[in-house]
Amino acid sequence: MVADIRPLAAVLVSAVAIVLIVASHRRPNLREGWSVLAALAKFAIVASMLPAVMDGTVFRWSLADSTGVEFLAGLDFALRADPLGIFFALLASFLWIFTSFYAAGYMRGLDEHSQTRFFASFAASLSAAVGIAFAANLVTIFVFYELLSLVTYPLVAHNEDSEARIAGRKYLTYTFFGGGVFLLAGTVMIYWLTSLVGEPTLAFEAGGMEALAAAAQAEPVYAQAAFFLLIAGFGVKAALMPLHSWLADAMVAPTPVSGLLHAVAVVKSGAFGIARVILEVYGPGLIYDLPLDVPGIGEIGLNIPVAIVAAFTLTAASIIAMRKDHLKRRLAYSTTAQLSYIVLGLSLLHPYTVVGALFHIPAHAFAKLTLFFCAGAIHVETHTDYISEMAGIGKRMPLTMAAFTIGAAGMAGLPPVAGFVSKFYMLIGSADVGGSYWLFAGALLLSAVLNVGYFWPVVYTAFFESEDSHDAKPLLEFPAGGLVQSYRTEADDVAADGGRPTDGEADAPAGDADATEPERAAAADDGDYEYAVDEYPSDADVPVGEQVSAVDHHGNHDDHLTGGPPADVWQRRSPFTESTWLMLAPIAVIATGAVVLGVGPDYAVFLELATRIAEEVFGMPFEELGTVPFDELMTEVNN
Amino acid sequence: MSSIDLLPPLLIAAPILAATLPIALGLWFDRAGWSVAAATTSGLFVGAVALANAVYGGERITHELGGYPREYGIELVADEFSMLIVLLVTAVAAGVLAFTRRGGPRGNTFYTAYLLLVAGLLGISLTGDVFNLFVFLEISSIATYALVASGDGPEAAVAALKYLILGTVAASMYLIGVAFVFMATGTLNMVELAGAIPEANTTLIRAGIAFMIVGFAVKVAQWPLHTWQPSAYQRAPDGVTPLIAALVSTASAYAFGRIIVTVLGVEYLAGTPNVAPIVLTIGCVSVLAGTVLAVIQTEVKRMLAYSSVSQFGLVIAAYGVVIAGESETALIGAAIHLVGHGVLKAGIFLAAALVATSYGARTVDEYAGLAKRRPFVAGSMAVLLLALVGVPPGVGFVGKWYIAVGAVESQLWPVAAVIFLSTMLTLAYAARLLEKMYFTPSAPADASRPGPAATDGGTADTDAAAAIRGAGAADPVSIGMIAVVVVAAVVAVALGFAGGTIADLLEPFLTEVFN
Repeated sequence: MVADIRPLAAVLVSAVAIVLIVASHRRPNLREGWSVLAALAKFAIVASMLPAVMDGTVFRWSLADSTGVEFLAGLDFALRADPLGIFFALLASFLWIFTSFYAAGYMRGLDEHSQTRFFASFAASLSAAVGIAFAANLVTIFVFYELLSLVTYPLVAHNEDSEARIAGRKYLTYTFFGGGVFLLAGTVMIYWLTSLVGEPTLAFEAGGMEALAAAAQAEPVYAQAAFFLLIAGFGVKAALMPLHSWLADAMVAPTPVSGLLHAVAVVKSGAFGIARVILEVYGPGLIYDLPLDVPGIGEIGLNIPVAIVAAFTLTAASIIAMRKDHLKRRLAYSTTAQLSYIVLGLSLLHPYTVVGALFHIPAHAFAKLTLFFCAGAIHVETHTDYISEMAGIGKRMPLTMAAFTIGAAGMAGLPPVAGFVSKFYMLIGSADVGGSYWLFAGALLLSAVLNVGYFWPVVYTAFFESEDSHDAKPLLEFPAGGLVQSYRTEADDVAADGGRPTDGEADAPAGDADATEPERAAAADDGDYEYAVDEYPSDADVPVGEQVSAVDHHGNHDDHLTGGPPADVWQRRSPFTESTWLMLAPIAVIATGAVVLGVGPDYAVFLELATRIAEEVFGMPFEELGTVPFDELMTEVNN
Repeated sequence: MSSIDLLPPLLIAAPILAATLPIALGLWFDRAGWSVAAATTSGLFVGAVALANAVYGGERITHELGGYPREYGIELVADEFSMLIVLLVTAVAAGVLAFTRRGGPRGNTFYTAYLLLVAGLLGISLTGDVFNLFVFLEISSIATYALVASGDGPEAAVAALKYLILGTVAASMYLIGVAFVFMATGTLNMVELAGAIPEANTTLIRAGIAFMIVGFAVKVAQWPLHTWQPSAYQRAPDGVTPLIAALVSTASAYAFGRIIVTVLGVEYLAGTPNVAPIVLTIGCVSVLAGTVLAVIQTEVKRMLAYSSVSQFGLVIAAYGVVIAGESETALIGAAIHLVGHGVLKAGIFLAAALVATSYGARTVDEYAGLAKRRPFVAGSMAVLLLALVGVPPGVGFVGKWYIAVGAVESQLWPVAAVIFLSTMLTLAYAARLLEKMYFTPSAPADASRPGPAATDGGTADTDAAAAIRGAGAADPVSIGMIAVVVVAAVVAVALGFAGGTIADLLEPFLTEVFN
């Protein structure tokens, strides 16, 4: 432990940027300059701590030590840069650099309103995310977890229309239920449990808190309850089913938000929290040793229910994703599924699965950020949001769709993209344990197939189908083998009942673009297949009563008026002219990053950090971890 | 007798005496009231700080009025618990007064009532005598009735009457309770009572406890005895509501806590059947009922009034935890939440008053688009509301943390569940307001609905009024008024880091009470 101000500086640098961003609201270039500068500074601060942390130093800053102020009786407000913290902070701050360029391009490309609020909230979100990464105890992580919910709310509700407000409400409800209720309850329980055996404490310890292990022997039931409360609290942000549905709705936010926050910083903070709980609050040994008595099955480890939920989520979310036509929503469900990989890997407790899960955090981040950036670029350039309208779009946006393909391969875990490495570790880990863990390995493999199932059609339709002849999407809704259709002619009908501004009156809920979704499907086929998306399309849950005045042209609201190919066909453009460099450069860089992580994981810092974390948790060198039988490992780590 | 011992009586006597000045000087000067009140409240604040310095320095300061010993005289006590409330009262009184200079209401009689109210509240905080407590409860109540009644229109008179009836009944209930206890013990001094009660006739004491609980439940506005409070808060003049909302029920709740821990004793109450479950139930039910009622309100002030019902429910529930689990932590939580809620509600009601002054906006819908027009007020209000929800590091979180820890330590799981859920419940109405302010474009003026009477007397729809004013007339809102609201928000966050400090300050008191 070395006292150092840098963990705090890394948190505060973007908080300072908020002030500067707001102050320069009249000068967009300067304002975005602050964003970029803050991102670079944040990354530099985090990176400056990296070498020492790799050597085993832990940097710590605490409110009590530096100012003498005690946050709560017996509890310190403390930040520390340990391997796990630096792992997440490094990822978030690195990706923020590119996202801030991309966000500038995106927001300007769409001429969005309230850009100052947007960039300010964005910077605040990064502050909170790094705060979560560096939090040294449960109460500090709770503080930042709540703040993160709060500062991302303006981003979700950014559009200020009824759809965005409803999504924002849902977002607040879910995340505050997770944070303010479950997480707080779990934290208080841990505080109480540790107070039973000595001084109450909430500080993280690699391999689990000793005081908690002692207390859990005295009060096993409450220790179990606290475990599930904490997992549920973090599980909300990690979008574990059944707490996931906020994520898809949050896709009304501008795409940089969906990309960096709702695929990386926010959702990963949930997964990261679960990692803290499993590895550094309870510790694998305690979780394994604190059996849960299930009637009919016998005693199982606390990790099994979590693993089951995760396995279910990753399968179910993949299937739901196949049914989504809205590209960002499909990506959102894909995120839900991929986050469950992380949770699953962590909850299997084996060192290999833990390393795989941790490495999946950056692996997924790079790939998913690429995908979201591509979706955003398509939106800005062509206003197309629906996969069914993307036939032949590869001509118009070659580089974007190529990057999309790389990202999709990463999602499916195909080598040489990063997703492969993490899944590989998780598979060998669960195979190593054997027994019922084969089921989880099976879920991982099945999900890879499903990933191909929902990403390949997008790639296929972009590159290998044409505007006048393509399969109806989403494939799952139509007969096996696909239903060939063309929207060259029907496209006009669609436009007609999708509501031109002039006949907005006739379509009663015309303000709500998504409500026309089923109608379009009805127009497009013979009536056998009534539903384009869902029988009860979750895309269209905006109550009719709450109307936005007329058609307001900002954000996603005008998608249906302009989506799909132009009247003739997509223009053919070169990779350099398809969009602004502000968006293309980040796409290219992040996609390259995903490949680099996959080709040379040993040389990219993340895998090394992940193994170091596992070494600290299990208390022996990583090479030896594979040789020790699982049961022995679990009892070892407990001592 | 050192000079610091004179501060407690001075803190009470000075505002009472000063209360006569606005009326007297009003014979010659129209605007004397504010200056007198300002001088008095700032003096009180300085005095309170000096006293707090001594008390938290480890001195226990008592003053026997008239030199009569406490067995039959009246004693004033400044200890760690009461000083928190004294500081809150004086600080909020000074802050609200700063606001009223420009924001109104004006008039010398207003300032007389204002000072009387402050005197009553300080008396409640400092007295060490249960009958004297009744006297100060009445002084503050009567001043409050007058202040509420000074609002515009007949509704204010009705609200004041309702409050008068219920408030007097409640005070009488308390008095009856005191009478029973006096019958059983023969003394009225709190410290003497604490020694005498365990040996006294249990039937009489229990009857006394019952009357006191009901009396305080009305005073603190606990469901279902809260009915006076929403209309009183809503109908009182905008500049008065912050003071009433922040302090009147707070002082009563403090008095209740004082009776529980000092007079009756936690141990004695824990041994008395049904007290803990009753107090816990009152508190928990109020938390739930208060929020549900708050969510369905359309008027901002009324909504916030119901919010107070639920927030005081938390405090009362904390007292229940103190009794049931003999939990020190819950008492710290109750004390912090009392102070925190006072600051928060003062700030929020000041912001609401400011909005009403500038736009005549009083309903939640009328707050649409406020963030664009008044970024500082909307921002401060957002911070205060979120602190109320319990988002860390706001002061609301700190209180909730200690109360929750207390409930969990005492293994009162249903209570703990209510406390945790209260975050969500509070969020339900706070988010409504936030969403209106920040994410709802201000709607075009709805001509069909007559706007409420604006303070400038105009009844035209609010946007038009604002537009006219924006065109040329002087802004009725001064920078100072905005500054007061911003300061409240800053204090709310700063206190969020004071959780450990306040617990340390209360430590000597807790040791004394719980052993």
